[in-house]
Amino acid sequence: MISKLLMIGLSITTAFAISNFEVAKKSDEVMSGYRDAVSQMQMILVNAGGQQRVRDMKMKVLERDGGDKSLMEFLSPSDVKGTKFLSYEHANKDDDQWLYLPALKRVKRIASRNKSGSFMGSEFSYEDLTAFNIEKYDYEGNAKEITVEGKKMYQTVRTPNSKNSGYTKQVALVDAKTFLTMKVDYYDRKSELFKTAVFSDYKKVEDVWRIGTITMKNHQNDKKTTLVWKNETIKNGLKESDFHKRVLKK
Amino acid sequence: MRRLPWLLLLTSALLAEFDIKGFVSLESQVYLTHPSQKHGQNFTLQQQLEITYSEGDFEAIGLLNAQQDAYDLFSNEENERTFIRLDELYGRYNFENDMVMAGRNIRFWGALEVRNIVDGFNPQEMRNDPFETDKMGVMNVQYSHYTESGELSIIVKFEERDQKMAAFPYVYYFFPTFVNYEDTLQSESSRYRPTLYLSYSGSTDTEYAVDYALILQHGYDSQRYFTLDAPLVGIPVNLEQHAYLVNKISTYNTMVVGNTLLKVEVLYADVIDDPNISDYMHLGLGVEYTLTQFIGDANFGLIAEYYYYDTFESGKYTDLELFEIFQNDLFIGGRYSFNDADGSSIIGGAVLDLDYDEQSYYVEYETRIADILKVYMDYRYIEPSKDMLTAFHLLGRHQRVSLNLAYHF
Repeated sequence: MISKLLMIGLSITTAFAISNFEVAKKSDEVMSGYRDAVSQMQMILVNAGGQQRVRDMKMKVLERDGGDKSLMEFLSPSDVKGTKFLSYEHANKDDDQWLYLPALKRVKRIASRNKSGSFMGSEFSYEDLTAFNIEKYDYEGNAKEITVEGKKMYQTVRTPNSKNSGYTKQVALVDAKTFLTMKVDYYDRKSELFKTAVFSDYKKVEDVWRIGTITMKNHQNDKKTTLVWKNETIKNGLKESDFHKRVLKK
Repeated sequence: MRRLPWLLLLTSALLAEFDIKGFVSLESQVYLTHPSQKHGQNFTLQQQLEITYSEGDFEAIGLLNAQQDAYDLFSNEENERTFIRLDELYGRYNFENDMVMAGRNIRFWGALEVRNIVDGFNPQEMRNDPFETDKMGVMNVQYSHYTESGELSIIVKFEERDQKMAAFPYVYYFFPTFVNYEDTLQSESSRYRPTLYLSYSGSTDTEYAVDYALILQHGYDSQRYFTLDAPLVGIPVNLEQHAYLVNKISTYNTMVVGNTLLKVEVLYADVIDDPNISDYMHLGLGVEYTLTQFIGDANFGLIAEYYYYDTFESGKYTDLELFEIFQNDLFIGGRYSFNDADGSSIIGGAVLDLDYDEQSYYVEYETRIADILKVYMDYRYIEPSKDMLTAFHLLGRHQRVSLNLAYHF
């Protein structure tokens, strides 16, 4: 009788449990459907001594099934003003990336295999800045249900499937009600805690959740970087041609 | 009623966007090894101002470069390196899949790092440090049609500009003191004869992505040659620069293989109207491999490039008379990018001439201070050929350090 009850109890638990993959899928879904986005971005770099540096950028993103296209233009510091970075993300091969250097009027091809390098001296890597794509990770088992400051959260584990990733594991904390990611712990190639990203200031724009602020803390050098999205608009009607290589020289 | 057009014009000007950027820089160079009659140091003040006006799909751009040499200002031994140049003044209109542009501008063509042999649209400023890229704008019109992954362009250039040189005491005036350079460009046809370029460029969506470009050219060549009106025997002589016509085909390509970039630049010129210049070819091959997170966040790029130049007709000017430095040369170098908030990097390497036993070594460092001041330093050492009359032989053994501080706005 006791064993039967235990079996029934276990079955109920399994039926109500949610897998790491399902959480990731729902997280992806609530952030998808923006079609395209245009925003101003501010990057605040804080070193271990607390000194701040501010970088301003303009960002355009086109949402695509096979991988997003994005165009970033640097507005400050002044010596890099007008520098542009164009990226075509691909799920099954290396991304295409070009850099436009206005002082030389030169478009330079970038080798993009390794995405773990720092972006503009910040605590974000190129990998951190690409849109979340469930196909880039492997998932096993169920998410852990925990309560943080009175809110029910799912703690999920995912493993990057690219050998060029700088991480061996990512542990994400996802709001159980909205499926918005609130925090991600990144583990480096030695499986040690490397960085923590805190996601905040979510806004619902035209029924799509958009992120407002991400703060990335590096536990190994005590530096942190905050990325703030400003004046973001979505569904602007951007087309593939707005991400043609020609836009680098515009 | 007559005020209406002016009101509309004023309103549209206010609604349009003006963007201003530029820099003011101070450069100091010390020549540790140099000919005794030439200046042992130099100070240059430079300013660049770029104004962009945009309204909808229309853009107008103006770019002004100005330079003041300290010897021109304070000394009787003038370097004649002071100038104001309007390098860009053009308008551009972007259609859905097309673009038209007219005016004076600067372009870049190429894939390699040390020398872009196909980048001949704009002439180089010869009053400046020859190790810097300082192009002069030229008048041209362009029509481009864009395909999904490429660009087909027709460009017509209407201007071949005189290239002035600095005066003798300046260390980078390569000729002896008794050589007087006449800066009026000599040519059989009018210098305003149009030069036509037809180019097609694009990118492949293959496993190993390729960026490619092919340029067909008919008109004035970017290569120039010099003539003297008397032999070099110590008496004053005049030196003139000549332009000639060619049919030319050029290509530059980059292939991405993982963390490696493979680069090729090739050109072939069929000379049309000059008895002194032979048909010629120029080839450049390059490989760049990047070691990411080499130390901490820093990347280290290993770069190797090889250049080959050859003429096809005997009895005409060769690479020596044309002062072509990259005729059989190998470059081996590296780029260390700190990936820090100041954008710091160190680039260095050696150019080894495999024909004339000539070597050039350099290291460059750049960083940023307090987000407003760009700092650039370099060290160069040139060991010229002992017995061949190369450009570096005329310069002599050379060693310099330089510091450039630039305030960007």
